[in-house]
Amino acid sequence: MEHILSLIVFFPLIAGIFGFVINKENVKTFGISVAFVEFLLSIVLWIAYDPTNSGYQFVEYSALIPQFGVGFYLGVDGISLFLVILSTFMTLVSLVALNIKKDIKNLVITILFLEMTLVGVFLSLDMILFYIFWELSLIPMLYIIGAWGSGQRIYAAIKFFLYTFAGSALMLVGILYLGYQYYLATGTWSFAIPDWYLLVLPFNTQLWLFGAFFLAFAVKVPMFPFHTWLPYAHGQAPTVGSILLAAVMLKMGTYAFIRFSLPLFPDASVYFLYPVAIIATIMVIYAAMVAYAQKDIKQVIAYSSISHMGIIILGIFAMNAEGITGSIFLMLSHGIVSGALFMLVGVIYDRRHTKLMSEFGGLATVMPRYAAIFGVLMMAAVGLPLTVGFVGEFLSLLGFYRVSWEITVIAGSGIILGAVYMLTLYRKSFFGKVVKEENKTLKDLDKREFAALIPLVALVVILGVYPKPILTTIDMSVRKTIQTMERKALLPDTKKFLLKVNSIGGTK
Amino acid sequence: MITLTHYLVLSGILFSLGIVGVLRRKNLLMLFFSTEILLNAVNIGFTAVSKYYGDLSGQIFSFFIIAIAASEVAVGLGLLVLWYKRSGTVDLDSLQMMKG
Amino acid sequence: MEKYLFVALFAPLVGSLFSLLFTAKEKNTITAIVTSALLLLSFVSSLTLLVSIHDGLTLHVKMMDWISAGNLNLPFGFIVDNVSVIMMVTVTLVSTVVNVYSMGYMGHDKGYNRFFTYISAFVFSMLILVMSDNFVGLFIGWEGVGLCSYLLIGFWYEKESASWAGNEAFIMNRVADLGMLMGLFLIYWQFGTFEYDKVFAHVGSLNPAIVTSIGLLLFIGAMGKSAQFPFHTWLADAMEGPTPVSALIHAATMVTAGVYLVIRASALFSLIPEVGHIIATLGAFVAVFAASMALVNRDLKRIIAYSTLSQLGYMFVAAGLGAYWIALFHLMTHAFFKSLLFLGAGNIMHAMDDELDIKKMGGLFGIMPYTATLMAVASVALCGVYPFAGFFSKDMILAAAFNGGNFYIWFALFIGAGMTAFYSFRLIMLVFFGDKVHKKLGFHPHETYPFVLWALLPLGILSTVAGFFEKPFEEFVTEILSKYEITIPHATELGLIFLTSAFVILVIVATIYKYNKGGFSKQLENMPIYLLLKNQYYIPKIYEEVIFKPYYRLSTFAWKQIDVKIIDFIVDLIAKTLYILGQKSRKMQSGNLSDMLRWMVVGIVALLALAIFYRPGM
Repeated sequence: MEHILSLIVFFPLIAGIFGFVINKENVKTFGISVAFVEFLLSIVLWIAYDPTNSGYQFVEYSALIPQFGVGFYLGVDGISLFLVILSTFMTLVSLVALNIKKDIKNLVITILFLEMTLVGVFLSLDMILFYIFWELSLIPMLYIIGAWGSGQRIYAAIKFFLYTFAGSALMLVGILYLGYQYYLATGTWSFAIPDWYLLVLPFNTQLWLFGAFFLAFAVKVPMFPFHTWLPYAHGQAPTVGSILLAAVMLKMGTYAFIRFSLPLFPDASVYFLYPVAIIATIMVIYAAMVAYAQKDIKQVIAYSSISHMGIIILGIFAMNAEGITGSIFLMLSHGIVSGALFMLVGVIYDRRHTKLMSEFGGLATVMPRYAAIFGVLMMAAVGLPLTVGFVGEFLSLLGFYRVSWEITVIAGSGIILGAVYMLTLYRKSFFGKVVKEENKTLKDLDKREFAALIPLVALVVILGVYPKPILTTIDMSVRKTIQTMERKALLPDTKKFLLKVNSIGGTK
Repeated sequence: MITLTHYLVLSGILFSLGIVGVLRRKNLLMLFFSTEILLNAVNIGFTAVSKYYGDLSGQIFSFFIIAIAASEVAVGLGLLVLWYKRSGTVDLDSLQMMKG
Repeated sequence: MEKYLFVALFAPLVGSLFSLLFTAKEKNTITAIVTSALLLLSFVSSLTLLVSIHDGLTLHVKMMDWISAGNLNLPFGFIVDNVSVIMMVTVTLVSTVVNVYSMGYMGHDKGYNRFFTYISAFVFSMLILVMSDNFVGLFIGWEGVGLCSYLLIGFWYEKESASWAGNEAFIMNRVADLGMLMGLFLIYWQFGTFEYDKVFAHVGSLNPAIVTSIGLLLFIGAMGKSAQFPFHTWLADAMEGPTPVSALIHAATMVTAGVYLVIRASALFSLIPEVGHIIATLGAFVAVFAASMALVNRDLKRIIAYSTLSQLGYMFVAAGLGAYWIALFHLMTHAFFKSLLFLGAGNIMHAMDDELDIKKMGGLFGIMPYTATLMAVASVALCGVYPFAGFFSKDMILAAAFNGGNFYIWFALFIGAGMTAFYSFRLIMLVFFGDKVHKKLGFHPHETYPFVLWALLPLGILSTVAGFFEKPFEEFVTEILSKYEITIPHATELGLIFLTSAFVILVIVATIYKYNKGGFSKQLENMPIYLLLKNQYYIPKIYEEVIFKPYYRLSTFAWKQIDVKIIDFIVDLIAKTLYILGQKSRKMQSGNLSDMLRWMVVGIVALLALAIFYRPGM
């Protein structure tokens, strides 16, 4: 178990390299087996993980550049554990659902490479290592969108790459500066995050660094108004790309907020609380409105992702255990639900080569199973209780209510607007009479699609009914993060704020 | 009395001449001459300062520059001849293949 | 006893999952039989629980933990006490009847198996709603019944109007749910828990302003589910669903959930009489408002729907004035006679090939006497004629309004009672008596299957006799609900009852007389007031024009103008600027050696200048 984290990170890469010698017909099976083994490894990690210990577990360290304190430093805690499992799981599912024939070998290897970078991002405890994985993850996605996308794929791919890449540039400066600050404070260099957690930064420095990191994370999330790459990327990406992009890659940004912004810059986080919350609220409502206006099913779901990410941000910036735990759970649930929805759009796109709502109507009659599964996931997306979507949304909003009920009410209208665009989408595509001739002969889901979708639907229900084991594990580590914040807070206002949002009762 | 200033002024004048040559001349051969003038202007400067401070490293530098200039001209002229054989001209404007 | 609780709760779920297996298959009667049996089982278990609760037992079960994060620890907990068991019995009884009824009603529908899946799922959600021991559990059921309502309203999804109505119901409920959710958040941050016991135990020591906010927010939720003004439009549109659904969900059970919430949280609402007053006033307003729309409507089901709305107003009056047990009593009796009325209407629709216009019927009494009798019973019960069920519960509400000194509320309810009598008998007269208009239109009505009529019989009996259980009912539920003292003199009370009854009977007689004579003249239909009522006060139109359409326009604007033309334009502008800059500076790379040399000189000069003028640290 000692090196399980390195194994989880590099297994897909090494296996992917072996993929070059597999012949074309078998490469998909090979990919699925690799992803399955990787998924099992992450499950083993979960089983071996000690939920009563809130710190980093299975920590591995080997120095890379000892002079500058850069090391190969991996560790897992409650915050990252389930995101790793989400990554491996969604990769597996998306490979099962894969039905692209063109250059399949390259695609499978690229996906495995992407899996490595995603897992690496969540497991890195060294900032330089984190940055490397963070940026590396762009390359396979660029390739996936650019090579297997549709229509304006080159434009979309380049936009995606440059936008997110430019956003991260400032983060690198921030990382280097923080390392230097650590050097000034202690006399040794270190880029290890646990070391940085000990570093108390002056308020002004915090503000600047928060800004530098914020831009990188905000583009990745994507937060309003840095979101415009997302609809293009989703619009042109192949189904597998959309699934991984929405399910896992967007979570990198929100994960980074919890991992870095909050504990490293507690005062600045509280200082910027309201601006961020207002942006998040705008995201929720604005994206929901834009989603409602869309004509393309996939774009509706793409914009709905932005809307949901807004609630995740709110939960994070509630800065209490309810909110942050809820937002992490919402990341997981959104990963499952949006991944599944993109897969469903892929199903219909494969059959009709269009994603426009106006081309459909009455699908419930011709494809009842498809409609049923879509319906379940739609309900999860609008946050119906006992589906996975409710728990996270409820907790995130519950958490933020303590900070500001006004903003919560406004952002909470997202649950209304979410129902508006989702139900309209469903009504336009699935209800009514079958008008178009070519829709009358559509085939319902086949075995391959079922195999990919059933686990997702099952998870939607199971995690909606019994989320507790996951929540408690997350909660342990979240509390530790909040303690770090409290310990590091400089300003009395920050301390007071943290105390208030983490306690019950009192005035107002 | 010829002072250091005179040498440096001379070096400056030669350098300016060389610069003008580099900028104005279109003939590759003339360009080589101009570069040589530039290098020699620098050489004069180095030697004069070296003498003034009584430090030999400046003069050693000059030797290096002369050696390098000689080898450069050797290679350069070789290429020039090759170019002349290929295109029949030594005009600068004929060399525009590296357009961006 | 716990096993009865679990049987009562999970039997419908089992039934739902069972028939779920058949949804994609051909009609299979086994789904209906199994779900009916399981609902009956649930009903029997509920009855058993009722008996043991009557003997002084209260069940409180924690099933398993659900959510825990931070200070929050939320289990699935269920409580069966005097209030919830009444609801359980009512819900399971009506749903069993409706399920059996639907075997006949839905007999030829291609979504037969799907229908029973939904109905049982609904009952399960409703039971969660009433049995939960905490607010979030209630919210689960709350949303669950909302989902089932959405699915069942849009059951015939091929109909454009049906799927639209389903969406409307779901979204409008969501609006109100947001208010309720905020109420829940407020409760959590005050008490650190959602459990009724703990919340109500400490609610007294709280700042009254906060209690008021909680009360108002919860009531917003209740308004949505119970379709109170201004959320009322969805209920009338919900009549797009199959009629058994209207009977079960949109009359007897789900729409009363709002009333149930107020009763359940009576410990909280009794602390804030001013909010109660608002509730009662709104209830009285809706009682008249909805009844007025029923006066002129020609749609069989919509008339009954508006009647439901109006009766919900009555219940809210009682609940708002603190007469919780009366509200619950009316809720129960209403469930019986209103579902009966709807199911009777279903028989008529069946007979009339789904025709809903009551002006196209007439004279059906001779053809369907049993249905007519049942509906007549339900109507007199609704109007509150002695000795039918409505008389007892409705008169108690009027007495309570008078008792509290809220004479305007009393008066509104009084007028409402008159309107109820009018529209009920207008419907009866137009459908069952008078000219046989349907013959001219080529309909061939027939009485429905006998087993369907037998299924309706329990409801008919209950509509007739339920009122006599008033005293035991009061004793039973006031064990946990606060008692309500009528302080006005007994003679006044009797006088009021007499007055109301006399008024109602007068209106009934007048209506029968008038419609026997051929009804009102056509000229009335051009009066502005008639048009106003017929168009439902233009409220759906206003919503359409003021909310739906502008929202769509705004959305399109946000997408086409803001997103594409501003935000994305700026992003692309940055990229384009860089690109154009590159294009321009390309010319520097002319490939001409002398150009390059010139640039080199420029560089040298620049560097020289830097070296001469820039002295860091000086």
